[in-house]
Amino acid sequence: MNSRFGGRLVGPVAGVVLWWLPLAVAGAEPATANADQGTEPIARDVDFAVDVAPLLSRYGCNSGGCHGKASGQNGFKLSLFGFDTQFDYDALARQARGRRVFPAAPDHSLLLRKATGAVPHGGGARVDPQSEAYQVLHRWIEQGCPPASPTAPRVVAVSVTPRSQVLARDATLQLRVEAVYSDGSRRDVTAHAQYATNLDVVATVDDAGWVEARGQSGEAAVMCRYMGQVAVFRAIVPHGQSLSELPGFERRNWIDELAASRWKQLGLAPSPACDDATFLRRVTIDLCGRLPTVDEARQFLDDPANEKRSRVIDRLLDSPDYPAYFAMRWGTILRNSRLAGADQAAYAFHNWIKDQVARNRPYDEFVRGIVAAAGEWQDAPAINWYWQMRDDQLHQVTSDTAQVFLGVRLQCARCHHHPYERWSQEDYYGLAGFFTRLGRKSFGQPPPYYAAANPTTGETNPLTGKVPEPKFPDGEYARFSPEDDPRHALVDWMAQPDNPYFSRVLVNRLWGHFLGRGLVQEVDDLRETNPASNPELLDALARDFVAHQFDVKHVIRTIVGSGVYQLSSEPNESNLDDRQNFARFYARRLIAEVFHDATDQLCGTRTRFSGVSDSARAVDLPHEGFGSYFLDTFDRPRRVTGCECERSSGATLAQVLLLANSDEIENKIASGEGRVARLVADQRPVAEAVEELYLAAYARRPTDAERQAATAYVQSQDNQRQALEDLLWTLLNSKEFAFNH
Amino acid sequence: MLEICCTGGSVGKSFSRRTLLRVGALGVGGLALPELLRGEARAAAEGTPRPRKSVILVWLAGGPSHIDMYDLKPTAPAEFRGEFQPIATNVPGIQISEHLPLQAAIMDKLAIVRSACHTNAGHGMGSQWMLTGYQPTIEVNDNIYPSLGSVVSRMLGARDAALPAYVNLPRSLDLGKAAYLGASYNPFSPENDPNSDGFQVRNLKLPSRVDLARLQRRRDLLGTLDAIRRDIDLRGDLDGLDTFYRDALRMVTNDRAIQAFDIKQEPDALRDRYGRNDLGQSCLLARRLVEAGVTFVAIQAGGGWDTHGDNFKQLKDNLLPKYDRAVATLVQDLCDRGRQDDVLVMSFGEFGRTPRINPGAGRDHWPGAMSVLYAGGGLRMGQVVGSTNDKGEYPTSRPFSPGCVLSTMYHALGIDHRHVFHDQAHRPLPILNEGRPIEELI
Repeated sequence: MNSRFGGRLVGPVAGVVLWWLPLAVAGAEPATANADQGTEPIARDVDFAVDVAPLLSRYGCNSGGCHGKASGQNGFKLSLFGFDTQFDYDALARQARGRRVFPAAPDHSLLLRKATGAVPHGGGARVDPQSEAYQVLHRWIEQGCPPASPTAPRVVAVSVTPRSQVLARDATLQLRVEAVYSDGSRRDVTAHAQYATNLDVVATVDDAGWVEARGQSGEAAVMCRYMGQVAVFRAIVPHGQSLSELPGFERRNWIDELAASRWKQLGLAPSPACDDATFLRRVTIDLCGRLPTVDEARQFLDDPANEKRSRVIDRLLDSPDYPAYFAMRWGTILRNSRLAGADQAAYAFHNWIKDQVARNRPYDEFVRGIVAAAGEWQDAPAINWYWQMRDDQLHQVTSDTAQVFLGVRLQCARCHHHPYERWSQEDYYGLAGFFTRLGRKSFGQPPPYYAAANPTTGETNPLTGKVPEPKFPDGEYARFSPEDDPRHALVDWMAQPDNPYFSRVLVNRLWGHFLGRGLVQEVDDLRETNPASNPELLDALARDFVAHQFDVKHVIRTIVGSGVYQLSSEPNESNLDDRQNFARFYARRLIAEVFHDATDQLCGTRTRFSGVSDSARAVDLPHEGFGSYFLDTFDRPRRVTGCECERSSGATLAQVLLLANSDEIENKIASGEGRVARLVADQRPVAEAVEELYLAAYARRPTDAERQAATAYVQSQDNQRQALEDLLWTLLNSKEFAFNH
Repeated sequence: MLEICCTGGSVGKSFSRRTLLRVGALGVGGLALPELLRGEARAAAEGTPRPRKSVILVWLAGGPSHIDMYDLKPTAPAEFRGEFQPIATNVPGIQISEHLPLQAAIMDKLAIVRSACHTNAGHGMGSQWMLTGYQPTIEVNDNIYPSLGSVVSRMLGARDAALPAYVNLPRSLDLGKAAYLGASYNPFSPENDPNSDGFQVRNLKLPSRVDLARLQRRRDLLGTLDAIRRDIDLRGDLDGLDTFYRDALRMVTNDRAIQAFDIKQEPDALRDRYGRNDLGQSCLLARRLVEAGVTFVAIQAGGGWDTHGDNFKQLKDNLLPKYDRAVATLVQDLCDRGRQDDVLVMSFGEFGRTPRINPGAGRDHWPGAMSVLYAGGGLRMGQVVGSTNDKGEYPTSRPFSPGCVLSTMYHALGIDHRHVFHDQAHRPLPILNEGRPIEELI
């Protein structure tokens, strides 16, 4: 690729050696310095932090596959992506008894001989001996490897130009990245920054900052990183010409306005609104984790009222199935499990969540009940959250708190600076500092938890060698007296109206639940380098959530009441490729528990799980420990992480064989207490039986053609009951059944 | 992003073949068998299928005792060397345990690496390391990284679309799953012992209430209803499922999977030779499966290798006779059928066992040195690679990491072990992040 960039590289590459002094000291034009000035190429001392450290990133020396990984490479370890200048200095100049550098004869330094491939190097020849970079390293060694000057300006920010651009499908673009230094000066570091795209089917970027659209429409975020600072360029490749209006799109609330302006910009025409049957099935699955009953479907389809969709939303939200389903979803990411061997606590925590959801407890209070849980499990079942993580409590709780409640994947920062973000080890241990005084008694399963006066953990912050001290993410260190429980202060901080994480991750999580994909995807990975597909919409949802005192039902009502949620899943020409902007509903497979219960519901049967009441469905199970081949085959989460991504949507052979060819399902289809048996016993006419089966499976009546074909099939068979079973098998094995669409 | 995580399931040539079949919304649903077969015939006419290798891994869960099997130390002090004597093999200069006589007789078809090692002595983490090549940082009972079989499944697919690419026998390995590659690359397992009389693959046989004619009627009905269904064409979102239904129903309708799994078709004499036990019959079944087109079979070689107590009695009375017979017969059988270069057989566990014998006449966990057995696959056989010190404690030459052990296998299959996947956090993760193929073997 380099030949293509020959011209563009000249300026910045020359700059690495020469621009600094004139700019920093004299403020002169960088262009006046040039490599051609030859014999006296460097008019000032090379600085380790300014000149040398960036080269370690540029040549990939400190990447995760090489010397940046936790174990280093061949005894030589650098900080990952160069976040720790002092560490890297020690590694180069001091460790290995200084044999990596040889000031008396710089060319013989191991650093240069390895980097140029003069001696065998696992990473090959990385640096050309004729290059400016080589001269910088050479000069630094010659100077006696001075450490970074404490007064030399440091990079405090980077910026990218342009920040976003609408690109044609085959367009290319050169980015320009500038570093901003602590003295206010700016440098072009385009050639030295590292680049990565989050969606390479939309746009790729090479290591010189050259962006190419790849033919697929959508929006890609290109991360530009230099010396630990990050800027993001957004490449927008529209689906078509921008639109001035969206004919046929019915706006139901303010969400639709914000979505519509995005679609217009991107040239996306939304699919039409879905029909009533699809809406009822969709909203019942999403709110209650079950299919509509035949009666519900009939009533809804036959209801002439205009406002019936909003009425059914309210009815479902007030039904016991809504808290049952959301208790299961929360229980999964809150790791409510019996892994730690406390069944009774898992039941209690499950019921506690269900009760919180049923009463629509404000979200901040719900979170407080978990994060600041203390007491005996009977009174504070949420201590099971801590107990499940007890083997590695401080770290698991820290990373789960960050991920589940703040949408920040902070766990990388336990060992190294977050590779894409500003989060450092200091931030990680600062958050951990809120959990260091959590004590637990030595009796009970689980034991009582309490806020101790002094640290109860033996873990230390490797940066200080001391017990981690509480520091608000992005903020100040906090001091607490022995009688305080720092965890309450953490929740107070979360619940402040301007907290940028707390409300956004919740509304994004809910959006992902209902729309099949977060505005930010994954739903718990909010960061500048992973931007929302519609930032205005995410902000508005978060603001609205705060303005309504963290009322979760209010957010849900707003989302499912929107026209966006009620679009058809059928794509049109314009939105077929859309995977980010919700211009159609994204169909998705029923998750394990819902699929299981839907199968029972359609067959008219009930599964009895051992150790729980006979009426408990799969969504009612409080933990993962109830044996079920069906649930395991459909990838029921093991509840071992706080991540929504534990569920996989990939189909497996075993799943299909189970549905299409198993005694387990066949026994449900043909059950003597099942739907078909009842239809036959009631001597229902074939047409009615067919209609009921369609309503039970799809919440819709069959079309005329379907009715005719199905009826003809049943009548062609000698054994009516078997024929209806065949029809039921067919519905159960159809995509329309397996998907929420 | 979703798109990155989920794109590019490489199902190899079979995909284009399958896309030729223009089927109804539920795949095979609307398709008569003759049509299926025509599609296959067409695919066959397009070109000869690429010859591809397969792997059979015999997974010795619990940690086999290297010093009692492949790396005996007869001159070590009594508290190390144990009860077993080395015996000569058919390769001059190579000795292995007296309780592996059948393998000793075919040593020219085997290669032993004595100097594999790592640093984690826990079952879970050691297993994860050996089965994925990645050193795990936390102990969990599920895959953080994809197992070798899942990786192979993702990279190569099955050689026959009517068969799964990756099978576990007789049941699923604890850490044999696909992790971030997605559930489609999880192993398919009968969850059933092929040595039992009633052995069958779960849900591969027709349910008792349904005969083939009825299944055919159902599929026709499904095809009819699909064809007239309201236009619920969800295109991109559901393509994968179509493929899957097609594969699964092929397994049911097209006999080949049932045939492949039908171990009873093997002659009794051969079944006896493999050993009438779960390991022996799993090895035989594995051979049938790779012949039929499965790409990777991992066999859970019983439990019991975790010999903390009564190590010698356990090994000589129970574990080694079955293991020796099963593996030696498998290797010989593959040779007899001329398949030795097409099928790589491997055998190892999560670690070796402590050379110093404990007070209970047992040996404990020891990742400092372990032996790995390779056979066939086009690798160079009849040799021992690497050595350990005089007590079998650690390598004295050619130490090999788990990444080396696995990359040798990937090399044999023609898979570039530097190929990069992305996990859910979009981290780029190569198939292996360390290790290179063992030069003596390739």
